[in-house]
Amino acid sequence: MTSMESFQSRFVEEATDNINDLENALLLLEEDPGNKELVERVFRAMHSLKGGGAMFGFDTLSDFTHHMESVYDLVREDKLQVTKDLLNVTLDSVDLMKKLLINDENGPDEASGEYRALVSRIEGFLKGAEVNAGQGPASAGTTGIAEPEKQGVSTYFIHFVPDKDIMKNGTNPLYLIDELSTLGKTQVIANTCNVPDIKEFDTSKCYISWEIFLSTSEDVNAISDVFMFVEDDCMLDIHKLSASDLLNDDRFTREIEGYRLIESEIGINSIKDFVDSLKEEDQARQSQSSKKKVTNGRDNAISSIRVSSDKIDQLMNLVSELVITQASLSLYTENSDNSELQPIAESVQKLTRQLRDNAFSISLIPLESMMTRFQRLVRDLSDELGKDIRFSAKGTETELDKTIIESLTDPLLHIFRNAIDHGIEPPEERIKKGKPGSGEIVLKAFYSGANVVIQVSDDGAGIDPARIREKAVEKQLITPDAVLNSKELLNLLFLPGFSTAKNVTDVSGRGVGMDVVKRKISSIRGEVDIESSPGEGTVITIKLPLTLSIIDGLLVRIGDSQYVIPLSVVDKIFAVEHETLAGAYNNLVVLDGEQVPFYYLREEFGLAGDPPATEEIVVVEYENVRIGLATDSVVGEYQAVLKPLGKFYKEQEIISGATILGDGSIALVLDTNKIINQFSNNNKIKEELS
Amino acid sequence: MSEKNLDQINSYLSFKLGEETFAANVSKVLNILEMTEITKVPRAPEYMKGVINLRGSVLPVVDTRIKFGMPATEYTSNTCILVMEVEVDGEQVQVGGLVDAVQAVLEIEKEDILPPPSIGSKYRSEFISGMAKIDDRFIMLLNMDRVFSSDEITDLRERTESSKLQQEVSMEEKKEKVKT
Repeated sequence: MTSMESFQSRFVEEATDNINDLENALLLLEEDPGNKELVERVFRAMHSLKGGGAMFGFDTLSDFTHHMESVYDLVREDKLQVTKDLLNVTLDSVDLMKKLLINDENGPDEASGEYRALVSRIEGFLKGAEVNAGQGPASAGTTGIAEPEKQGVSTYFIHFVPDKDIMKNGTNPLYLIDELSTLGKTQVIANTCNVPDIKEFDTSKCYISWEIFLSTSEDVNAISDVFMFVEDDCMLDIHKLSASDLLNDDRFTREIEGYRLIESEIGINSIKDFVDSLKEEDQARQSQSSKKKVTNGRDNAISSIRVSSDKIDQLMNLVSELVITQASLSLYTENSDNSELQPIAESVQKLTRQLRDNAFSISLIPLESMMTRFQRLVRDLSDELGKDIRFSAKGTETELDKTIIESLTDPLLHIFRNAIDHGIEPPEERIKKGKPGSGEIVLKAFYSGANVVIQVSDDGAGIDPARIREKAVEKQLITPDAVLNSKELLNLLFLPGFSTAKNVTDVSGRGVGMDVVKRKISSIRGEVDIESSPGEGTVITIKLPLTLSIIDGLLVRIGDSQYVIPLSVVDKIFAVEHETLAGAYNNLVVLDGEQVPFYYLREEFGLAGDPPATEEIVVVEYENVRIGLATDSVVGEYQAVLKPLGKFYKEQEIISGATILGDGSIALVLDTNKIINQFSNNNKIKEELS
Repeated sequence: MSEKNLDQINSYLSFKLGEETFAANVSKVLNILEMTEITKVPRAPEYMKGVINLRGSVLPVVDTRIKFGMPATEYTSNTCILVMEVEVDGEQVQVGGLVDAVQAVLEIEKEDILPPPSIGSKYRSEFISGMAKIDDRFIMLLNMDRVFSSDEITDLRERTESSKLQQEVSMEEKKEKVKT
């Protein structure tokens, strides 16, 4: 690798970080368009992308980013406002930047349609801003559009109740309101509840009163000046609501919109209360973000370093080696009479354990790193499908092994797509059902013992068990008269080729669905569970091991070999006479007064030798079914460092790996799910399971 | 990559399988181990003997004799495990091969290597990269990448018919080449 190439690859790494940061900031900006700090962050990320790109030969990227940067320069100078449109274009641009970064040579270039389309959209914004700037503040004011640079803008609430006879002296109240709107941005709500029945209606009288929200840089006097000539003929209330532009605040406008719909008087008190609650919310957020800043600052002080993942893998391998070597040292010490060796071996054991925990924590990364992608997915898809969906995440500081995170992204994206496409209903339908118009998807992550649990829940339509049944019968997965409870019906979703979507859409429902999710999750030794109540929503729970490379296992002996069964699946251990097992009918044995199907591993593995008189059955849980695995004896608990068996044994799925014991011999780690699956292929138990 | 190595290094490690002598390019052989305890992996093909602990990592061991259609290796004091690095599906993988005895490292010049036998050979020609005559005896030089990356070697015997055909075809091709 030449030095230029190595610089380039470092730039790509850095730029990827920058682009991710950019995307993240943009999504935050969408929620809080007025946040100057975020605009700065966006601008900075773009700036470093542009500079680095030019320096390392990513000219297309650099040129492109330059266009974007100019737009955000205007935003920074308040010449352009952050709108949904602008964010859409910017996010699309971020996608293009990603592509430009991956392959500057063969990817999209200046000539490609995508590039040109985006550049022209960006230029549209630039031109728009120029026109605005050219008009100047005065003219912008007269058009009723709030000029970008306004200082000391306040929001007023004006309650205007003209006398019924106001029109008699030639005054048209509408002109007053028109005049009012020249002062700034207005929201006018006409109250018509006093309009009488048509029979009593007198066309010369004015029955309407108005409630007007005005955001302006003028003071109260200017507003009352408007009403100067009608002061005596009306009831006028002017209140200053806030020293900020509330009409720019989505939450506020939404609230007003709500009042408009119910057609009743707002009243100054209720609106004041609402404004106060808004202020409180803002304050809370501000203190939160300042808290964030403090923690960020501390992070900076600690200063993290960038280490290639190869090096971490290497470290993990070495630590694993050390754990094994330490185990053999302990074993040797136990069997020797050397009293001086004992304390040394013990402290080696202690240090090794600390080192191991430390090294593992290095390779853990927080779930936070995936959230931007989900947020983006929710945003883009719900836009596309015309749904209103909010996404929130809790416990994203939960950490997982990086290899798990990598293999988790796709299944989670799939679950999200399902929730957005099938789960959450369109707004009209939701309102009809009495739910809030905007749906909600919540991701929750937390530790539970040696596991990490990730829950994705939505408050959508849920899954109708009857539909699953219908579909399963149609696909001949079950017989029409099969008796299944709702839990079992939901589990049918995990069978290959099952998709309940009525139509095949672009988003999900191509028939590859939850079975792929399940397969991927179990490939990282995780479990998926689905719960749903029709009409209320769906919860998908994923349970994952903390790390892939070390498992707590139960060491068992069969013949000359030792095997490890993951402790997480072990339910109970029973001692059973060999005769009982040998004479067992249909491979069923009664344990704890319960019939348990079992597999005689010695036979299934084709091992030679005579079984002992008393054998031990390890009962494991498999999809809520208990199954026994008969072994010669249980040796004990063992912390197994998982080693792959490699390509040559890729066909032997029942073995998930091997581990090296203290005496240097090898124990194979059994994948109990696969064993049961494989052994029961032509077995009665399969029928019981399905 | 293997071709390049073969071109560069002319040293071959010779070993015995039954009565016959084979040799592998030393660039492929990482290590020669004494016979140790092999942990059997259940439900694996017969030629996959099991796994051993090679300094903390797990090394799969192949019974080379079964791979070559001979009866399974009987363990003697001469039985060794050759640790080799072979290319499987474009990936470098370490694998151990059981051999009856390791003999010597031979220097064989390129011009002394004869093309693989065509007709009448017991072994599939794709596994043999050439033959060399040492002390009036023929040694078969093995292409280890091919030997170990092939899954279907256990049925070598059944395939000899088809491989003979293949060899005949390749003979025809060679003749064509000679003519032109």
